Amino acid sequence: MKLLPLVFKNLFRKKTRSLLTIGSILLPLFVICILGTMLRALDSDPSNGKGMYRLIVRHKVSITNWLPAAYDPKIRQLPGVVEVLRMNWFGGSYVDQSARNQFARFSTSDADRFLKVFDEATVVEGSEKEWVDDRSGLLVGRLLMKKYGWKLGQKVTLKGDIYPVTLELTIRAVFEAPDETGVYFHHEAIEEALPRVKGFVGWYWIKTASLEATERIPAQLDAMFENSSFPTKTETEKEFQNGWVSMLGNVKLLVTSICTIIVFVILLIAANTMAMAARERVTEIAVLRTLGFRKRQILGLVLGESLLLSLFGGVLGVALYALLFPGFREAVANSPMGGFAAGMKLFPEILAVAFAVTVFVGLVAGLAPAVRSAQRSITDGLRQVG
Amino acid sequence: MGKPLIRIENVVKQYTRDTQVLTVLDGLSLEVEEGDFVALMGPSGSGKTTLLNLVAGIDRPTSGTIHVGDAEVSSMSEGALARWRSQHVGFIFQLYNLVPVLTAFENVELPLLLTRLSKADRRRQVETALGVVGLSDRMDHYPRQLSGGQEQRVAIARAIATDPTLLVADEPTGDLDARSGEEILVLLERLNHEFGKTVVMVTHDPKAAARAHRLVHLDKGVLKEDVRAKEAAGSIGLAAAVEVSAGK
Repeated sequence: MKLLPLVFKNLFRKKTRSLLTIGSILLPLFVICILGTMLRALDSDPSNGKGMYRLIVRHKVSITNWLPAAYDPKIRQLPGVVEVLRMNWFGGSYVDQSARNQFARFSTSDADRFLKVFDEATVVEGSEKEWVDDRSGLLVGRLLMKKYGWKLGQKVTLKGDIYPVTLELTIRAVFEAPDETGVYFHHEAIEEALPRVKGFVGWYWIKTASLEATERIPAQLDAMFENSSFPTKTETEKEFQNGWVSMLGNVKLLVTSICTIIVFVILLIAANTMAMAARERVTEIAVLRTLGFRKRQILGLVLGESLLLSLFGGVLGVALYALLFPGFREAVANSPMGGFAAGMKLFPEILAVAFAVTVFVGLVAGLAPAVRSAQRSITDGLRQVG
Repeated sequence: MGKPLIRIENVVKQYTRDTQVLTVLDGLSLEVEEGDFVALMGPSGSGKTTLLNLVAGIDRPTSGTIHVGDAEVSSMSEGALARWRSQHVGFIFQLYNLVPVLTAFENVELPLLLTRLSKADRRRQVETALGVVGLSDRMDHYPRQLSGGQEQRVAIARAIATDPTLLVADEPTGDLDARSGEEILVLLERLNHEFGKTVVMVTHDPKAAARAHRLVHLDKGVLKEDVRAKEAAGSIGLAAAVEVSAGK
């Protein structure tokens, strides 16, 4: 510890070089944290475990194929089913098709059951009853209210594309939930304008009574409709989310590969800096050894410097990430990928990985120069000029 | 004759370059008394610095033995040798070799960081050492803020900070102007006289060598001449012997 001030002084001996190296560690570390967060968010459970009691039933072929609304009572009678919610993707547009105006728009045939199935959501403005009682009522996520500056009772016009209909809906309730980037309205609003869609829904949500039921029901339910005209595929909420992620291709492999390359680049930069620093101090290190410094102390001085250099960059990178994270999350929430923001948070494991990468880079980058410095004979070192 | 501090017996030092074996010291034997001030002279490549490095324990002989005090430095392990150096040897270099990012105080404190001394004791010792070399008012100066002579005095303070018995100096005035060189020689004499340090100094400068009590002249790795001041006093005198040795 007595040598730590010397390590610090050596670290900033060439200020510009050290600051540039710290910068070249800081920024990639920041990027690693962001990519890691996105990767981790793919696996996250924004419902805080409540999703384990939810199943989704869709058409066996694709979620774009409808299911009969009449499946509702049949599903409801299965043991372990607490609640059933019929849902539909409306799509369409709000104002225009620009990225800023993209958000999820769903219709449900069972507004009164919505908060029973998504019980992590709570109404924070207006009331559930007002929304349930008003066929043109709209339930809006709090984040969207803030983004568009909407007020309770305000009319919102949604123009359909899958459904060629324009809906004028009134905001009756605002909900708070991990994912606040969607709007929900009554399916009847579509059915009234387009009677041909009556009797069909996009998919079913099921709230189960237990994990045993979550595990048992999918096979039971799919078997029930296996030979019908509308066979089903029942999945847990997690499996359903993973299905969407897999549509993006092997994103995890891609992101992990990018992160690995970034770590390797940081390593090369830090190693180059440490190699230069050690080369410049050959005589000085020989002098220290003449004074009685042992090889392990020289090893510690050079490795310590490398580690500190990396830690400076790493800690600043992580701090920058933590500082900018709320803004980044909000930017994602306000983008067409808004739903993705629900799973994003400051994951402790990402911070731990960033710290581990920093330590790894520091130690590996400094190892070769440290060993070389410690091993070089004193007389060889003293012979070097400079 | 005083008690010998350094005993060098039949020391051979060889370097191998590619397949060629180069003999730098060839069966050299020498004794240096405790409290002596010895100047090592000789032409380039004669083995002066190699001998100094061997005595200071920063290099090892190919064969032969070197005792300094009770320690046989030629057979010590590297770790033991490092510890021994930190306690018994002070090294003064031609180019001072101060750490540029450390102040004069911090440079002098460096060897003390290897001891178990408390911070207060270290401070006391550093202040004493800088006081001896007359740089108490330059403690917070960085090497770049000091003249060459002052830098060398800081280097001497660093060498005496641990109160070693032996001071080895490799051309301590070689990079200095005449006045600064003179100051350094006076200081070395003082360390030898007042503080009883044994000084072994490599030099090309006859004036510097004339300050020593004893002149050892090496040539091609063997001892050519060994002149004591008191012996020389009756004949040609050490200064004259030095001039002869330097080939003037």
